[in-house]
Amino acid sequence: MKTETKKNRAASRGRHFNTGNGPMLQALDIGHNNYAALVDPDTAFWSLVRKDKIADALAPGGLLAAYRRKAAVFAREMEQFRFGLTPSAVYFNPTDRCNLNCRYCYIPETMRRAGTHMSTENLLAALGILKKYFRKNLPAGMKPQIVFHGAEPTLNREALFAGLEQFGGDFRFGLQTNGTLLTDGDIEFLTSRGIAIGLSLDADVESVASRARKTWSGRSVFGKVLATMEKLRGYPNYSVICTVTRQNQRQLSRTVEFFHKHEVPTCMLNPVRCTRPGARRIKPADHEMSRYYLAALDRTHELYERTGRKIVVANFANILLAILAPQARRLMCDISPCGGGRCFFAVSAKGDMFPCSEFIGLPAFNGGNLFRDDINAVLQTPAFRKVTGRKVEDIEPCRRCAVRHFCGSPCPAEAHEMNGGMEQPGAFCELYEEQVRYALRLIADDKHEAYLWDNWDKDTVTTLEL
Amino acid sequence: MKGKKSCCCQKKKVIATRKSCKATGAGLSHYVMMETKKK
Repeated sequence: MKTETKKNRAASRGRHFNTGNGPMLQALDIGHNNYAALVDPDTAFWSLVRKDKIADALAPGGLLAAYRRKAAVFAREMEQFRFGLTPSAVYFNPTDRCNLNCRYCYIPETMRRAGTHMSTENLLAALGILKKYFRKNLPAGMKPQIVFHGAEPTLNREALFAGLEQFGGDFRFGLQTNGTLLTDGDIEFLTSRGIAIGLSLDADVESVASRARKTWSGRSVFGKVLATMEKLRGYPNYSVICTVTRQNQRQLSRTVEFFHKHEVPTCMLNPVRCTRPGARRIKPADHEMSRYYLAALDRTHELYERTGRKIVVANFANILLAILAPQARRLMCDISPCGGGRCFFAVSAKGDMFPCSEFIGLPAFNGGNLFRDDINAVLQTPAFRKVTGRKVEDIEPCRRCAVRHFCGSPCPAEAHEMNGGMEQPGAFCELYEEQVRYALRLIADDKHEAYLWDNWDKDTVTTLEL
Repeated sequence: MKGKKSCCCQKKKVIATRKSCKATGAGLSHYVMMETKKK
């Protein structure tokens, strides 16, 4: 679904910003002493202009000429990126069940307690179907990704490891796990194959980390997760998610320090997804979370300066990438439409297909079944198109927001469940405003590389530099 | 250290950079980072 374009019959040569056919720039205060931003939201073009030179920058000349040369290319890039991609990844749930009962989980309790285990036979058959699909639909040489996800995938150990073993050459595999059931043998199996591993830990101290993440009987799993983290020390393909709620937000700076101390290469400080009521009850206020979150980002920079070793906060790094190189994003939540149903989809333990894991508890978003239906047909069902058709141009206030393509108004599941519809914004807005402002301040101060992975730009080319 | 604050950038009137690459569509959601490095 592309943005509609009508034929432009205006006689303007586009020689001035903000009139006629000239580029449209929105001014944005970024909270920097010396610089403000001028942004063309439609193409995600940005510039930082010295505050005492803004009038000069708007006059015909350097900035206008440089941007006019590139505006059409940037517009095509965004169009392709937003509407021209096809799925290359799958979130795959080998089981509905979980050994934990986290307050903010997006999977309904009944499923997590007594849901389905996919049989080994079915899991292998499913991977075979996906292999065939991607071979036909992806460019040659591009390896699709399968992320085993949950619920807790290691509860269905036999099927999970059989799949990893049998299809190791066909997919890039990842495993998102709570880390409480991994044995030494499992870790050796996973790390020797370079499989990406994601763990979850919500704070540096047990009393806080256990507020939302615990077993069905209310016990903490902090010690078990920490033991797994220790076993993964030095493994480059692992990350830890800290889900931020109002119960742990004050702890964020100490948590990133803790992760850094344990040599976690990448972490995510994800604001809790507010798809289900349990999560909404512990949602942090945007302005409060922003304060603690940005302080934690500051702390990562201090740690880098002190030790020379980075701890990358991936969800923030993704915002930086959205600004510096929009197509180099690694995560597809913060773009509109989001990646759900168009860059990836989710498969439940019954084989049911959803645009994203976030929708697995919402039957209205079940688009079909992997074992029975044609995948391309499922991608075109109303259940999927509700998500793939959600775009910021149709959402108030996003349609007039300068940072709409650095944010994307995530997430559609939250918009639908919390705010009442797909034309509504997601759960967090001001948090994204503040992240973008912070990112632009870093760029103004030339500090942004410290927040990104080394060599993040090795496959990019510079198309504009002023 | 790459990315360290530089005083000369404060003198620039305009800062604007953009990089492009193939949009491979390999991006995921906020749940797991996929890296390609081997141990």
